[in-house]
Amino acid sequence: MAGMSAKRLQKELTKVTGALPPGITLVSAENLREWYMDVQVIDNPIYPTDEKYRLKLTFPPNYPIEAPEVVFQHLTSPERKVPMHPHIYSNGIICLDLLDAQGWSPVHNVESICISLQSMLAGNTVKERPPGDAEFVRTNRQRPRDINFLFHDHKV
Amino acid sequence: MAHLADKLKEEGNTAFRQGEYIVAEDLYTQAIQRYSRNPLIFTNRANVRLKLQKWDDACNDCLRSIEISGTNGQNHKAFYFLAQAQLAMHHPHEALSSALTAYDQVREPKTAGAKIGAKDLETFSSFVLKCKKAKFASRDRERLRRQGSLLAELEEALTQTLNRELDGVSAQLAAGAIGHVAAQELTAEVEAAHGHKVADLRSVFAIHQDHQHQPREIPDHLVDMITFEPMHDPVMTRNGHSYERATLHEHLKRSATDPLTREPLRVEDLRSNYGLKAACDEFWASGASEWVLDW
Repeated sequence: MAGMSAKRLQKELTKVTGALPPGITLVSAENLREWYMDVQVIDNPIYPTDEKYRLKLTFPPNYPIEAPEVVFQHLTSPERKVPMHPHIYSNGIICLDLLDAQGWSPVHNVESICISLQSMLAGNTVKERPPGDAEFVRTNRQRPRDINFLFHDHKV
Repeated sequence: MAHLADKLKEEGNTAFRQGEYIVAEDLYTQAIQRYSRNPLIFTNRANVRLKLQKWDDACNDCLRSIEISGTNGQNHKAFYFLAQAQLAMHHPHEALSSALTAYDQVREPKTAGAKIGAKDLETFSSFVLKCKKAKFASRDRERLRRQGSLLAELEEALTQTLNRELDGVSAQLAAGAIGHVAAQELTAEVEAAHGHKVADLRSVFAIHQDHQHQPREIPDHLVDMITFEPMHDPVMTRNGHSYERATLHEHLKRSATDPLTREPLRVEDLRSNYGLKAACDEFWASGASEWVLDW
């Protein structure tokens, strides 16, 4: 199984180094199991066009059968904020059905994940954190993939 | 005797698990000396001999095991080990045929209750792919070698023509039919013509080769959307999309849904896609290096 994920990631990397949709850039993938991507949002006043958001993708050995772990990272140099969104906690953990064990499908890939997150931000109208953000950030010790999010809101 | 052989076989298995391959091989050999009608002992010895890279011996053990279980009997492990040994000995054609037999026996067991591991379908499927790639590569090498020798042969023929014509000029000169100056001019002419022919010939081969090496993507419809590898046994879901059987099975084990629509999907709902399989086979049989070899 490990062989399968390595090959698939290598092929995705070749594709991603070629061409990516506007606003999505590969930062590094030195370790094939851990990629960093930057995402920009083009036309939503909530997110200034010159702000980039850093994504960290960690791939399990049996990717793409299992979903990768995807979080936003908070960095100071270069400055990367965790974007304000009612489905993104301030520690970078994202609540998106396609990243959840139930919602994941092996036909997704790094590019489609980034596009989904980009459009999730582009379509956002409220500049706030999820309800109970402070509490969640303080108490959560689980890995994102082990959290059972309740997808109460399918509009965003 | 059979009972004693089983005991030795178990000891061999223990040694094998501990990585004591030489000890294990010896124990299996002793077991076979006590009782030689159990195909499993041969299969196990083949496995340990693969670890010891004794390809020939491993091959013989597999063949012996298959002989005991009957050519049409269930013995997927023996066929799988046989494929590994054959591939290691650079026989990709034979390896592919053995690997396909192993794969088919796992997909549709010949006997009810055959002992098939959870990962066998996937493991054998990727080994089939490996053999196909090896066969593909060996055919490509063969083609290049043939092409190389064809060029050499044609150049040789041109040189012989040149020599014959030069001999003709010399003969005419010797017979006094032409003078020195004319002979010199004729020689230069013949040599120049030869030079042009060789250059033309080489450029024709070069153009042809360039064309052959023109990278062409493997068409998307032959590539499994989950592994991104070319398929060899595609199955279709209810919405008409196809995937490699083994990887889709792997996905369905985790989530019984269609990867694209998320509708409920079970292994029983899948259908072999024979048309696409034929297209895949055509790809594997096609003129080698016009395809991108990115594996």
